[in-house]
Amino acid sequence: MTESYDIDINTGVDEDDTMIVDEDTRPLAVKRKGRGFRSESKEESRDGVRSGEKYDQFESITEEDAAAGRAQRSVEGWIVLVVGLHEESTEDEITDKFADFGEIKNLHLNLDRRTGFVKGYALVEYETYKEAKNAIETVNGTKLLGSTLHCDFAFIRAPAAPSVTDRERAPRNRLGRRRGRSLSPARRY
Amino acid sequence: MGNEDEFYVRYYTGHMGRYGHEFLEFEFRADGRCRYANNSNYRNDSLIRKEMYVSPLMMKELRRVIQESEIMKEDDQRWPKKNVVGRQELEIRSGNEHISFETAKIGSLVDVQESDDPEGLRVFYYLVQDLKCLVFSLIGLHFKIKPI
Repeated sequence: MTESYDIDINTGVDEDDTMIVDEDTRPLAVKRKGRGFRSESKEESRDGVRSGEKYDQFESITEEDAAAGRAQRSVEGWIVLVVGLHEESTEDEITDKFADFGEIKNLHLNLDRRTGFVKGYALVEYETYKEAKNAIETVNGTKLLGSTLHCDFAFIRAPAAPSVTDRERAPRNRLGRRRGRSLSPARRY
Repeated sequence: MGNEDEFYVRYYTGHMGRYGHEFLEFEFRADGRCRYANNSNYRNDSLIRKEMYVSPLMMKELRRVIQESEIMKEDDQRWPKKNVVGRQELEIRSGNEHISFETAKIGSLVDVQESDDPEGLRVFYYLVQDLKCLVFSLIGLHFKIKPI
């Protein structure tokens, strides 16, 4: 295994001058592990989440709803996250608990892929903010099968500008087309 | 900010083939920004890129899933190397530990059993499935699309 360490070159600390080094001001060494650090194949993955150049901006939802505080509405409603679920919780039990606050439009109760038991979280969708907010406030801190539940909105609004996203906005070329696709060949007659 | 607050997760799976570079990738930053990209040039050549911010409670749950998997204790040294079928990458920064694992695509548990490090690869195999399951739920509910 090869290990390398992050060295902060901005600390301005002379390595020979160890006597005056205040240990607490230096960043702790980061232990690195894995072939990914020396892989040369990274170029391919620049198309994905780490490139801001090649394609249009990432699509996101930026609907304003002043009453919703930090919470972000999803396309069809408000998503509530509940964590701390006992591994033997059932969809029926969770539905029972959350149906009091409004019609549940969707419920995702994901399972641990290895054990087949409940992973520990669920996502519940309501149509209105009020229903979701009420569910969060009422269920948060209560117990189900002896396990304490914690609730909050699953999505929050993007922090106020200037965000990284804005800076990464892909410039369009002079034809106003997104890059990443070559032009079609000129029509031949 | 102390190092213990550092947190970042990225997963990539993809290959170069007849339909170009087909891949699925997602990442989470400590501030809750989650990005998702999925490209397939098969039939309709569309790149799907989504961005959303998840709440601190969601991030806490994500950290829990990763911590309980104990993936940070593993090492990809004896895992199958990427090949023509494709590759997977899992990068996680958590506190002072930073892993960036790279391996071949895993078809099924048989591939795990037959590898030189079945125990370690199994941890990776199941964690990746749990992470994908979470991300697909988030994307599906937030944007009402079905990934893949």
